[in-house]
Amino acid sequence: MTHRRYQRSLLLLLLPFLFGVTLLVVAPAILSLGLAFTHYDGLSAPSWAGWANFQALATNQLFGIAVVNSLLFVAISVPLRTLLTFGLALLFARPRRGVGLYRAAVYLPTVVPGVAYALIWLWILNPLYGPLNLLLGSVGLPTPAWLVDPRTALAAVALAAVFQLGEGFVILLAGLQEIPDEYYETATLDGAGRLAMVRAIVLPLLTPWLLLVVLRDLIVSVQSSFTPVLLMTGGGPYYATLLVPLLIYQTAFERLRFGEGAAMTLLVFLGVGLLIALTYRLFGGWGYDEAV
Amino acid sequence: MPRSAVYSRLTLLAAVIMLALAGCAGSNNATDGGPSPPGGAGNSLPADRPATAEPSGAISFMIFGDTAEKAAYEQLVAAFEERHPAIDVSLIHIPGQSDYRQRLGVDFAAGTPADVVLLNYRRYAAYAARGALEPLGPYLERSTLIDQADFYQESIQPFIWEGQLMCIPQNLSSLVVYYNRDLFRAAGLSDPSADWTWEEFLAAAQALTRDTDGDGATDQYGLGTEVSIFRAAPFIWQNGGELVDNPEAPTRLALDSPAAREALQWFVDLQVRHKVVPDAVAEAAEDSESRFLNGRLGMFLNSRRGVPTYRTIERFDWDVAPLPQGKQKAGILHADAYCMPAVSENKAAIWTFIEFANAAEGQHIIAASGRTVPSLRAVAESPTFLNPGQKPANSQVFLDVIPWIRTVPIMAGWAEIEELSAEELSRAYYGQASLDEVIRATQERAQPLFTP
Repeated sequence: MTHRRYQRSLLLLLLPFLFGVTLLVVAPAILSLGLAFTHYDGLSAPSWAGWANFQALATNQLFGIAVVNSLLFVAISVPLRTLLTFGLALLFARPRRGVGLYRAAVYLPTVVPGVAYALIWLWILNPLYGPLNLLLGSVGLPTPAWLVDPRTALAAVALAAVFQLGEGFVILLAGLQEIPDEYYETATLDGAGRLAMVRAIVLPLLTPWLLLVVLRDLIVSVQSSFTPVLLMTGGGPYYATLLVPLLIYQTAFERLRFGEGAAMTLLVFLGVGLLIALTYRLFGGWGYDEAV
Repeated sequence: MPRSAVYSRLTLLAAVIMLALAGCAGSNNATDGGPSPPGGAGNSLPADRPATAEPSGAISFMIFGDTAEKAAYEQLVAAFEERHPAIDVSLIHIPGQSDYRQRLGVDFAAGTPADVVLLNYRRYAAYAARGALEPLGPYLERSTLIDQADFYQESIQPFIWEGQLMCIPQNLSSLVVYYNRDLFRAAGLSDPSADWTWEEFLAAAQALTRDTDGDGATDQYGLGTEVSIFRAAPFIWQNGGELVDNPEAPTRLALDSPAAREALQWFVDLQVRHKVVPDAVAEAAEDSESRFLNGRLGMFLNSRRGVPTYRTIERFDWDVAPLPQGKQKAGILHADAYCMPAVSENKAAIWTFIEFANAAEGQHIIAASGRTVPSLRAVAESPTFLNPGQKPANSQVFLDVIPWIRTVPIMAGWAEIEELSAEELSRAYYGQASLDEVIRATQERAQPLFTP
């Protein structure tokens, strides 16, 4: 099979997916882009609003709160989850007895459906009867009210999200397999310790994989934080866990202000793009010349 | 793989996808009450066609509520279909009330609301103001089965929007005090009297609040309530205050008046000062209603809605008492009504169902489940509702308080005002902010909603 034919059959295999994505993601996204410049309540026809929705957002206190909360959430969960993913991938990279079981255990929380996962954590974090506080209390540690206390609620939601790291874990495992064993052997001969090996070999060679994981995590943290806050806190107490996706949902579907919701969506889209660009710069690109 | 084979497989796949999509769309129409397929008899029946022509076709009816409530509506539908075999009613049940509201908003936006929807009087205005509802006043006038004069006017009045009756109310509940009689006995309290006062109410709550195992933490609370302006409103009115400056044509909230502030302080003090209700942590760990159901909470404020669930209580005896009285008498209306979306097609069949549900037979069926205080006087005063053999024994309470029942303002933005004021009031109630700060913030944040 020639290269061209191979590429063409790849494209064909991709087509059903592209069809679905266009129908269910791209087209609605473009439509909602247009909605951002209209007043639309879903009941009567949309009317042109110009920049009015965006101007309204500038003075919308809840939007301000939600943006700060979402940024905080990203700032907590992305580094925490990336570090944990990296650590677990290092720990379970080498074949050894039972490693398949460990890897499955790491991946398991990721396959739990979002709603079930949120409800499980709602129980774990129950301030009086939850297993976490019963455990903390039994060893004499303080028992925070978690989701009930405005000071800990956002952190608690982020904590719950940390364990859904299966996809990044698999990516980093694959990345680690790509590093030839000779590098480690040479480094051992040179008298390098484990830490030095991680710093001098693993980190540089894993950079593109790590960047991929971080970028993906950024998007996931902004976007799929919706289900947990909707089910665990409803955005409370007193907006402490009000994240942008929840506010968009409430604005559009509960208060029937689809234009304003679409405007927020557009701003989030641009904001995530900016965060991705910043992170990319921070990593210094993919780590090696892409032409190679 | 040969190219032609790939293409033919692809075509097959595309065909499958198209079929699946078409199937989705089709089943959506059938279950979600989109327009009935063309050709269904009765589709083109004009609403004002004489009642002699029996309407027919398929209609959908969307409800919310727990399983006991759902069972009652299923019975209603079954009875209706027996009487009107040509009309097929499919019931769409959404368990949670807030899920129901969101589904409704989305359905209306998509142009495919169910043919009959239940709407609360605090929320229908947002739809009525945008012309999304078919006014039902003219239908009611033509009806030979039901007559506006047979309804409690207190339930009809709130559904009149700009001079037109929009929906047919099924019930008119007040806020009452559900109380655990066993806990009252154990605390040496007698049943609340019909004219008990705020002071007696608080004293009872204090007597019922106990640390039963002596570990320093309260195990049994005297009282439980949702924290919202809707729950606090009757106390504001009883104290001579108002929710808004002018209930007929509101231009601002009036929670900052001394009378309203004093009532709110009393409400908030139940938690911050007297601690007779669960604090934020206790409420989050186990909500008040669940505590009541488990026999560890003395009194719970709720409308008639709770009855079907409370009838499953076997461990203790319970009953209802009227709200305690302040400086003047006031209660607060809870009412849901059958509404018809303006885009519905088979209006004759839809009206036939709404008419049946709100005639004596239909209201008897729903009332028997315990769910409603019937809006038809004759049904409300019948044994179906008052039956002393069924809990609550003192159902008469719901009827006694009707003369001084009041409503929240009927305005498009009210639901959102309730939402934000609940967030604000909770801060004061759980001691996270001062009441004055909360009132200031509520007044300020609600103001834009008075100018649509």
